[in-house]
Amino acid sequence: MTDVPALIESVVAALGRLVALGETIEDEWTYVHDLETVWAARLRAVAAGGAAAGVRPAPGLEAALDRLVAEADMVTDPHRAIDWLSTLPQATLVALGEAAW
Amino acid sequence: MRFQDAAKDARAVVYAGIQADPLVARTAAFLADATPAQRVLARAVMNGESTSPEAWRSMFPTLFGEAAPAPGTSERDRSEALLDASLAVAGRGDQVRSQFRGAIVEALAELLLARRVPAGAIRRERRILFDGVPAEIHPYDVTVETPGAAEAYDCKWGARGISADVLHQLDDAREHAAAEGERLLPVLVVFDARRSCEVRLARQTAPRTGTRLVTLETLDRLAGRRAEAAS
Repeated sequence: MTDVPALIESVVAALGRLVALGETIEDEWTYVHDLETVWAARLRAVAAGGAAAGVRPAPGLEAALDRLVAEADMVTDPHRAIDWLSTLPQATLVALGEAAW
Repeated sequence: MRFQDAAKDARAVVYAGIQADPLVARTAAFLADATPAQRVLARAVMNGESTSPEAWRSMFPTLFGEAAPAPGTSERDRSEALLDASLAVAGRGDQVRSQFRGAIVEALAELLLARRVPAGAIRRERRILFDGVPAEIHPYDVTVETPGAAEAYDCKWGARGISADVLHQLDDAREHAAAEGERLLPVLVVFDARRSCEVRLARQTAPRTGTRLVTLETLDRLAGRRAEAAS
């Protein structure tokens, strides 16, 4: 079983792939990178809290985050990728049972 | 300051057809009673690629998994209903779904406002006219036309919809109303997390201090309720 920080890091990596797609919209380059910065920080803060507490993944969490990452990786449209840069972290936080903001 | 129905140009006629689609009203009704986590589910599905409900159930274990409310409970039923409605929206195709999403946020705002103010005071697609000021091209999505305490709402599906034009129109309306001795509260409703909205707003120079921001986590404030926990 993968631990929570490693699962969250896989989501952060997926954010990076969405950034690579979304930044092709030149006018949104800064927004795309700023979104990645703030959401990656939020997710890593949750990971650090969970790791510090020695939290084991809840039932279904590993499958949920794997599936969310797969969903993000299905995105091929850069505009949709920008939508997902905000959506993926929120869905991840809901799966973790955290406040989605 | 006075309110007026927006002109029915070709765009407005097409969009009115989408606004009147029963799927918009059905989805908005489920969202009005939804928890914040259920609203995130709806946002993800309507933004998503997968068409299988089972895939989405697996992505949201706190709504559909072992620890979720049991099948048959009202909360679980609402999760299922929202999933079904959101998949129906996503299934309309890329171009149409973006119009549906916008119409759903507007309908949701109207439903929530109707819990706080008399329904007769709530109007859709209205322009606000001021003496000596050229009318704005774009109507407001929702207005609350209460004498002495009017409100004007611009509704967005995502934070990316926040633009300088939107912020200027809202703030200009507030200023023009004040110049006439009227009170007008401009509100930007965004079906996205405040964190993303703040990112969008951080690099905007347009005035926004007089505009209230309502985001996914604070939608219930439209109904006069405090935001609940997100999960």
